Amino acid sequence: MTRDELKEYIAGHLEGKLKPLDSGKFNPLFEVIESDLLTVAQVLRDDENLKFDFLSCISGIDTGERFEIIYSLTSLAKNHRLELKVVLSRENPEVESVQGIWPAANWYEREIWELYGFDIKNHGNLTRFLLADDWDQGYPLRKDWDAPDFVRFPELER
Amino acid sequence: MGIIKKLPVYSEKIPGGGLVLTSLDAIFNYSRACSVWYLLFGTACCAIELMCTGAARYDFDRLGMIFRATPRQSDVILVAGTITKKFAPRLRRLYDQMAEPRYIIAMGGCTVNGGPFYYDCYSVEKGIDHIVPVDVYIPGCPPRPESLLEGCLHLQKKIKTQTISDWQEK
Repeated sequence: MTRDELKEYIAGHLEGKLKPLDSGKFNPLFEVIESDLLTVAQVLRDDENLKFDFLSCISGIDTGERFEIIYSLTSLAKNHRLELKVVLSRENPEVESVQGIWPAANWYEREIWELYGFDIKNHGNLTRFLLADDWDQGYPLRKDWDAPDFVRFPELER
Repeated sequence: MGIIKKLPVYSEKIPGGGLVLTSLDAIFNYSRACSVWYLLFGTACCAIELMCTGAARYDFDRLGMIFRATPRQSDVILVAGTITKKFAPRLRRLYDQMAEPRYIIAMGGCTVNGGPFYYDCYSVEKGIDHIVPVDVYIPGCPPRPESLLEGCLHLQKKIKTQTISDWQEK
């Protein structure tokens, strides 16, 4: 399937659960609401024509107003790619774990939990492994994060 | 007798041989300054320069610097590379495991003040002097082997100014 065919196929197949977003010349990007994530993920993995069998990356994003989490999927069988975006609220960022569908999510989700503080529901092993053992300064990749020895890059005059 | 030319000594010839008289300070400092063994310790790209300096072209060995793979046999840690906050307690531990007298050379920008990781970085220690006392700072990113050799010569100079009474007090 070409990129546009893939886009159309997914949009038709998961009508109402996915919202296609403009991703320019990059991989197709869809937004999904948090409660639909697991059903959508299951279909994406198991559908005969999609077969997204490989979760290549999970990214957390803090835009300043809201949190986003992006699942980058790859199909090794069909050789195509897809990005799934879930928007989380800033006050209460929580998302269901996708470990049941892609076991690779385990460490990615731990990392997101550690650096962004998203609450990953039903993860089972949310323990620290990247930051220092005695870290108590919060979630460093959030935009509003600060620490006593943290120095922001000075604004440059243009 | 190369050593006699370099040390403040008094040598007396007696039948069948000779006596060399010198101070303990002079002989200790000379020995220590000329056998500064460094710990195999590289955490980032500075370690590549360190390896290069230790290899044939720049040849650390001529300063009496030989790498050791354990802190118990080392006199100096050449901290070659970024020290993250997570790694900082391990560096302190290595330092504590060394026998006195011990020295630290901070090699490269990261160890001097965080270097390229000074701004916008949550994970890098901004200068290893927060963790261990540093004897010689070598700036550069990474420093060339010549700078590293110069730094080691400075360390030797520093060692030669010490006296035994200093390190008894510690």
